[in-house]
Amino acid sequence: MACILLSAAIREPGRRGPTPPGQGGPTPYALSYPAYFGYRINVPQDNPLTVEGVELGRRLFYDKRLSAGNTISCGSCHQQAHGFADVRTHSLGYDGTPTKRNAMSLTNLLWVRRLFWDGRASSLEEQAVTPMTDPHEMGQPLDSTVKKLRDARLNSASPAYGALFAAAFGSDSITGERIVKAIAQFERILISDRSRFDRYLRGAYRLTAAEQRGLTLFYTNNDPVRGVRGTGCGNCHSGPKVFNETYHNNGLDSVPVDPGRSGVTGLDYDRGRFRVVTLRNIALTAPYMHDGRFRTLSEVLDHYSGHILPSSTLSPSLRDTLNRPVNLRLTTEEKSDLLAFLQLLTDSAFITDPRYADPFVVHTKIKE
Amino acid sequence: MKKASVLLTMLLVACFAGRTQQAAVVKVVGEVLTPLTLTASDLTSMPRTTASSKDKQGVMHSYSGVAIAEILNKAGVTTGRQLRGENLAKYLLVTCADGYQVVFSLAELDSSFTDRVVILADQEEGKPLAAGIGPFRLIVPGEKKPARNCFQVTTLAIRFAKE
Repeated sequence: MACILLSAAIREPGRRGPTPPGQGGPTPYALSYPAYFGYRINVPQDNPLTVEGVELGRRLFYDKRLSAGNTISCGSCHQQAHGFADVRTHSLGYDGTPTKRNAMSLTNLLWVRRLFWDGRASSLEEQAVTPMTDPHEMGQPLDSTVKKLRDARLNSASPAYGALFAAAFGSDSITGERIVKAIAQFERILISDRSRFDRYLRGAYRLTAAEQRGLTLFYTNNDPVRGVRGTGCGNCHSGPKVFNETYHNNGLDSVPVDPGRSGVTGLDYDRGRFRVVTLRNIALTAPYMHDGRFRTLSEVLDHYSGHILPSSTLSPSLRDTLNRPVNLRLTTEEKSDLLAFLQLLTDSAFITDPRYADPFVVHTKIKE
Repeated sequence: MKKASVLLTMLLVACFAGRTQQAAVVKVVGEVLTPLTLTASDLTSMPRTTASSKDKQGVMHSYSGVAIAEILNKAGVTTGRQLRGENLAKYLLVTCADGYQVVFSLAELDSSFTDRVVILADQEEGKPLAAGIGPFRLIVPGEKKPARNCFQVTTLAIRFAKE
C-alpha cells in the first residue's frame, strides 16, 4: 500500500527577507510599473505596501492551512502559470463544491477599485476575506486560521509565522485583519508589464504584420460610412492596461440567469452586467466569461462575431443606432489577426517570476 | 430534462427579478451644502431646459431635462459669484451605472463663465430615454466628441482638486 508523505520546505524569497523586529520596522515596498499605466492606483492608507508584508502575503496566499482540512490555498484557484486564473470553468472549494463563477485573473489589481465579477468588494482586503470564509470555498473562519497559524509555530517544517507577522506589522500578533492585509499586499504587486505589447509600447519591439493588423482592428471603431473597419474592442478593453473599470452586458444571454451587477445595486438595468476584465495574459486564462462558457479565445471571437444576443440591458457599445446587437461578422483573417494581437499580451516573465511564486516546495516520497 | 432545465432557469430569473425592484436615482454628493437624491419625478418638477447634441453618426438629437447648474445650485454648490478663488479648483465627477466616469471643472458648467448649458436629460425628442441610455444621461452641447454625453448617470460628486 502506497503512503504519500508530504513535506514543505521554503524557497528563498524573491526579494530581501523580513526585517528583524526592533530594527527599524518594515521596509516600504518600492512599486515599479510603466508610466503608461497611470497613477490611479489603490493602496489603502492603513495598509501600505512593505517588503515584509508582501512576503508574508505570498506565503499566506499559497498556504493550504488557510482552508478547512488544509486542502486548498488561494493559489489553488489562482494559478501563476495561468495568469493567476483557474483552468476550470468553476473552481472547486475545499469540499469539492464548484464556485458560482469563474475564478478571475489576479493581474494588475493595483488599478482595480471594485473586485469580483459584480464589483461587490471595494478593496482587495474586503475581497480576500470572502473566498477564505465562504463555506464552500476555503471554508474556514478567520479565527480558525489564526489558531492554525499560531499553532504552526510549533512545527519546525513550517514558516515561523509569528516572526513574519512581527516583521510585517511590528508585533507577532496573528490576527484575521493582518492575514487579509498581507494577502492584499501580495496581490497588489502582481503587475504584468513585460509582454511583447509592453516592449512595443516602449519602442523595443516591432509588430508582425498580423499583430499590427490585429492591434489596429482592436482599437479602431467600425465606421462603414467612412469605410473604416474596426472592432471597437478597445472601447472597453482600453489603453495599455487593456481594460476599463466598467460593467457591461456583452450579450451572452437574452435573459441573463446570473444577475451580475444588479445583485449588488438592486437595479434592473444592471442585470447581466459584469466587470470588464483586463486582457493581459488572456491567452493563459481560459476558460472565459463569468461562467467560463467559452473554452478558447476563438470561441470568444465567434461570440462577438455573430452571437451577441439582444436584451434590455445589452451594453450600448454593442448596439447599433436602431438598438440592434452589433455582431462584428469577422472574417477568418480578422479573427486570426485579433488572436495574434491577443497573444501579444502574454507576459511569460509574469508567470515565472519567483517573487510571485509558491514559496512552498512540495517533495513527494512514496513508501511501498 | 430540457423542460426541467428551462423551468429552473425561469425560476431562477424570477427569484432574481424579485430582488431588483429599486428605481434609479441620481445622487449629488461631496462639496455640497445639501446632498440630494433625485428621482425621475424630482427632475420633472424642477426648471426644465433643452439641449441638442450629435450622436456618434453625426445626427443631431434634441433632449430635455434639467441644467446641471440648476442641480448644483439646489445642492448648495459654490456657483455664480461664489465660483472664485479656491472654488475654481473644484470639479464635478460624473459616475454612470456601468462605472464610466467623466470630469468637468465647475467653471465649465457655470453661466458666469460660459453660455453653454450642460443638462441632465431624461427625455429625447419628447420621449423617455431608451433602455441602456436612461433614465438619466448627460448632454454636453457643442463637443466634437460625444464621450462626455454619458449614459445612466448615477452620481454627481463635487470634489476639490487637492494637489
